Amino acid sequence: MGSSDVSLYLDPQIRDWVLFPITLVMILVGILRHYVVQLLQSPPKQLSRAALREQRALARAQILRNSSTSSPLPPVYYTAISSHLRQAFEAGEYLKDGPPKPGDAPAAPANPMTDPAAMDGMMAGMKTQMVMMVPQMVIMGWINFFFQGFVLIKLPFPLTLGFKSMLQRGIETPDMDVRWVSSLSWYFLNFFGLNGLYRLILGGENSADSSRDMSATPFTAAPAGPGQDFVKLFKAEQDNLEFSEGLYKWAAEDVEIRVLKRHGKLP
Amino acid sequence: MSLSVALQKLAAYRKSNTRKSQETFQNGLLVLEKNGVSSLGDDSWSFLEQLTLASIDVGKLDVADRCLEQLAEKFPASPRVDVLVGIRMEATEPFDTVMNYYAEVLDADSANAAAWKRKVTVLRRANKIDKAVTELSQFLDTFYADVEGWLELADIYTSCSQYTSALQALTHVLLLAPQNPFYTLQFAETAYTAGDLPLALKMLLLVIDMCERDSSDLDRLTGVLTRAWWATKLCTRHLMTSKSTNSASHTSVPKNLNLIDELATEQVLKLYSSGRGEGRDLVTRWLGQST
Repeated sequence: MGSSDVSLYLDPQIRDWVLFPITLVMILVGILRHYVVQLLQSPPKQLSRAALREQRALARAQILRNSSTSSPLPPVYYTAISSHLRQAFEAGEYLKDGPPKPGDAPAAPANPMTDPAAMDGMMAGMKTQMVMMVPQMVIMGWINFFFQGFVLIKLPFPLTLGFKSMLQRGIETPDMDVRWVSSLSWYFLNFFGLNGLYRLILGGENSADSSRDMSATPFTAAPAGPGQDFVKLFKAEQDNLEFSEGLYKWAAEDVEIRVLKRHGKLP
Repeated sequence: MSLSVALQKLAAYRKSNTRKSQETFQNGLLVLEKNGVSSLGDDSWSFLEQLTLASIDVGKLDVADRCLEQLAEKFPASPRVDVLVGIRMEATEPFDTVMNYYAEVLDADSANAAAWKRKVTVLRRANKIDKAVTELSQFLDTFYADVEGWLELADIYTSCSQYTSALQALTHVLLLAPQNPFYTLQFAETAYTAGDLPLALKMLLLVIDMCERDSSDLDRLTGVLTRAWWATKLCTRHLMTSKSTNSASHTSVPKNLNLIDELATEQVLKLYSSGRGEGRDLVTRWLGQST
């Protein structure tokens, strides 16, 4: 490490006028974003009774199927419920718009762009995304414009060369010690590392952290996507129900033997 | 009693969903008088809700009104407050007014489960059983996972001696809460009342199996066990004396009926031999008759 002898001298002004401002601005922008997102959040959409019924019909079948290998229900009741559900799914009784009429053409898969309900969910996602991306871009531009090529701090521990691209972004020097951190890298370190601080300031459920949103797209924002095709889901569930009927076993099938054995009446 | 003790008690009630209206009301009033509401922070709203319900329960409507005012101010157009207002109306207003109110609430948000359930109870109390059953069935068709609702439906059917329908309602309870021996016992007893003895016997043995396997809190389950063994004894006795065993659910009678009967007799005697043994003579005489 011959280069550490020829140490760079960092002007304390850089610390006061570049390092601290960048950190402070990022923290403040994060907090501001948290509140802006809260303002932008639209109240959860209310589902109508029929839509709710459609959504929950699958859960009914799932509850029945879950315990089918050791079901608490006697065979007669089990098959009654199971076949009732299968018929209802087949006839489409649980569909939001009622059972399909025989003359109807099979409904085309809903286009999320034309369904206003789906559009709403997407817009909400986009709005929060905008609030996340715009300030980050502005900050990055600000740093790039004013502090390009600045070296801000020297880490107090040595690092291998692999960290060079992480810590010295924006400075193309092959032989500078990896411990020096450039301004742009400092920005990225803050970008990914401030979440812990936000959690301390704003509580666990904050929306200040922007690194998390990098992976989220507005299209996945609405949970259980409204564009689900329930006709298909019900069809699949019918098969599942039939399958479970084959696996069905009553939990009380030989319960008397178990009880008698426990009390020593049977070997 | 100090403020902090009262607050702790109330928080415990809220957590365990205990009704205890009189205690809740007294503690809540203390908190109100000592101005402890503001110290609760975000909890103050659930406290107000709790106090409202308790004071309606004990008939102190003025306190309830005061709480409701604060809640309505803080949460305008909240479905939860709407339901509270409805419950307050049920206390004094005539049937039609209340029904109209709930119809309005449901019009605004057709999926407001709490208001829907209130509507059913109002219907049932007004003795409009048929309407209550229709509404409740619709409700359960939408909100399938509501165990309380299914139990209520079974209760309504039982009160009208519609045991087969009650059994059907209880099957859904079993599906939703298969781990609860109380519900299984209720199913078995309903089957017994409906005359399906083989099914009742099987389900009773299932209850016993469930309780005994879970030996960690056998003390808490003694009540269920006692009831289950008694009912088992009743079933086996009937099944052994009457040769014709018809079962609506086509359940076959277990082969080891004699052994089960023997075991049930032993268990019932054992349950009555410990403790003060009150009524032991009666029990032995009754059991002696059977063998």
